[in-house]
Amino acid sequence: MRVLIADDEVLLREGLARLLEDAGFEVAGRCGDAGALLRMVEARRPEVAVVDIRMPPHEGDDGLVAAQEIRRRHPDIGVLVLSHHLESRYAMRLIEEAPERAGYLLKERVSDIAVLADALRRVGEGECVIDPTIVSQLVARGRQRGPLDELTERERQVLALVAEGHSNGAIAKRMFLSRKTIEAHVSQIFMKLDLRDSHDQNRRVLAVLAFLRAS
Amino acid sequence: MTAVARAGSSPRWVVPSPVRHLVAVALFAAVATATVAIVDNRPDVALAGDSAAALAGELAAGALLVAAALAAQAWRPRARFTGPLAAAGIGWLLFEWNSPGAGSAFTAGLVLYAVWPPLLAQAALRGPDERPLGRGAVALLIAAYATSVGVLGLAAAAVFDPLAQGCLDCPANQLLVASDAESWHELGQLGLLLSVVWTAAFAALACGRLARFSPAGRRVVAPVLVPSAAALALFGAAAFHARERGFLSNDPTDRALWVGEMAALALVAAGVVWERARARRARSALARLVVELGASPTPGGLEGQLADALGDPSLRLLHSLGGEPGWIDSEGHAAALPSDADRVATSVVAGGRELSVLVHRRGLLDDPGFAPEIASAARLAIEHERLHASRRAQLERLRLSRARLVATADAQRRQLERDLHDGAQQRLLTLSITVRLARRKLGGGDPALERELGAAEDELGVALAELRELAHGLFPVVLSNEGLGAALEVLAERTPRLVTGALPEGRFAAPVESAAYFVVAEALRRGPNGEVAIDARREGDRLLVEVRTETQLTGEATAIEDRVGALGGALAADGHHLRAELPCGS
Repeated sequence: MRVLIADDEVLLREGLARLLEDAGFEVAGRCGDAGALLRMVEARRPEVAVVDIRMPPHEGDDGLVAAQEIRRRHPDIGVLVLSHHLESRYAMRLIEEAPERAGYLLKERVSDIAVLADALRRVGEGECVIDPTIVSQLVARGRQRGPLDELTERERQVLALVAEGHSNGAIAKRMFLSRKTIEAHVSQIFMKLDLRDSHDQNRRVLAVLAFLRAS
Repeated sequence: MTAVARAGSSPRWVVPSPVRHLVAVALFAAVATATVAIVDNRPDVALAGDSAAALAGELAAGALLVAAALAAQAWRPRARFTGPLAAAGIGWLLFEWNSPGAGSAFTAGLVLYAVWPPLLAQAALRGPDERPLGRGAVALLIAAYATSVGVLGLAAAAVFDPLAQGCLDCPANQLLVASDAESWHELGQLGLLLSVVWTAAFAALACGRLARFSPAGRRVVAPVLVPSAAALALFGAAAFHARERGFLSNDPTDRALWVGEMAALALVAAGVVWERARARRARSALARLVVELGASPTPGGLEGQLADALGDPSLRLLHSLGGEPGWIDSEGHAAALPSDADRVATSVVAGGRELSVLVHRRGLLDDPGFAPEIASAARLAIEHERLHASRRAQLERLRLSRARLVATADAQRRQLERDLHDGAQQRLLTLSITVRLARRKLGGGDPALERELGAAEDELGVALAELRELAHGLFPVVLSNEGLGAALEVLAERTPRLVTGALPEGRFAAPVESAAYFVVAEALRRGPNGEVAIDARREGDRLLVEVRTETQLTGEATAIEDRVGALGGALAADGHHLRAELPCGS
């Protein structure tokens, strides 16, 4: 899988590139600011761009803005934003416009190559991935009333795992349930969230979006 | 406490006024007697003619001017317009003196018959308000005197030979240098033309002054300036009428204009008295002020009350701030003393220290005894207001210094938050990647080392999470990026026991947003258990933040008191309730 890394911290960027190469990814380019990122995506067409949220020139949320721009210009290229913000609103900003092929991970995940690689693959496949810490924080909160109130406790757990970007098989393994049971839960969730018509991959993304919106 | 004039107080030698009165009255009596004799001698060439009424009017106009000048002198010993005014009253009679019937005074009459208009102009330009003469006014007066005394008087007299002009019964012209009828005629024409010009310029100057003044200023100036301008305009008209002829005479037009001048001069005298009456009214208003202030001194209202009482709407009352340079108004705001020529400052002094200052129209407090009267009338009220104003100024300074402290602290927090992210956090991340790479290189060859590296990685993860929380607690980025509403939402997301009610839309000034945010954060800290419900909303020009806690609030709230106080807001707290009111503009 061809990925592109954008981070202004050189040592971290190089380390991340080596980790990803070790894990079998092809690093198609490295850059350190939002402008270079957009040009490089245009020129090298990676499958997924890994973007640090805080980058020059403004050191604020330049990376997030660039990621949204990439999603707008190249619907076939995924973005995985690495952020030190635990707040769900940044994740919302990324996926609200175009939830497919987008991911939002806390930056401290970078050393956990298994999580990172899994998230990259899922984003590459068109899914939407949200950091488990953010998801669990939202589940713990869950005060506002909304469409999620109709879900059972079990279904909410399943939806949280879907939001973290896990496949049905992985969710089954985690919850010590059969794959069939999980599939039943997932289709129940789609029903209750009124997501009957779209095709399966899309529905998973939309479910995540509904989950984030409701929280 | 006394009042001392700060400006215009240069000591000046003053002739004792009884002597001046005596001299003026004696001089006028002598001139009047001579004038009666001259008119009586040759009524055919006199303006008054053989009419006793006209002569009486002529004498009365002069007498009124002299009397008004003397009275004004008594009211205001320092007044400077009274001299020229009295001289104009006397000079007015000299108008008759270039008559063949003048006898030995004939030569004086030839020189001074037209001296009254410049004298009147000088008195009017000074005015009862004792304005300093501007450059334009001085130039005008020089031109007027040069025309009347120089051209029409001395120059014409030097070439005027009465015998050659056919005035066989004229007394001798003592100033005659060379008899030249043609030059005399031309000098007369020139002098009259110049008289037309300068009287017109005077009218323009007077109109300009009236237009520039405030209504209160006009009330003071107009009673003297307007009739003076009228008298001078009539003189200008007479000069225009006589311009071809080359000399002023007593044809019917001349006499009609002369009667007008006479009436205008009487009005000038009346104007001086009227101005005096106005000043007296101001003093009785002042007496009422004593009663009002005694009843209830109102901070800040004193300036308006003094302005009403003294009839000067532009009056300002400023105070010193405990020995520091500069002045403050009743609200405690810094204020500057005016620097324009029309306004002066009178200090209010107590114990040798300048405590307050009245800034007012020039001449407003010129009446003898007026300033001490104000000082004693308003003493307590001025002192009261001064203390009030300096207290407000000090509070405002305190607030500003608090605001600076809070702003500095916030800037430092923000910087620290940034430094943690850009420095420590990035380093730890790089380190954890390095450890991971080292583990991979190890490739399972040394299980014990592998375990230790794994433990190190876990520790690093915990350190990173703690660092993230620490940075967020220092200053939430979302507060400066997206505002209060978003920041409170995020805080609620991180803190499940925080229940949000209304949240404000839109942005506020950064200190307001951080104050409101930290009020909530502080409430969470001080009520460490149970639900905390918040409600933040804009009400007019205030941002209200209300916090209700399930458990009793503990500890002191100094930090947020500083934040709220620095904005001039209010903080109220009891056991389970915290309420902050922050001014936020509208």
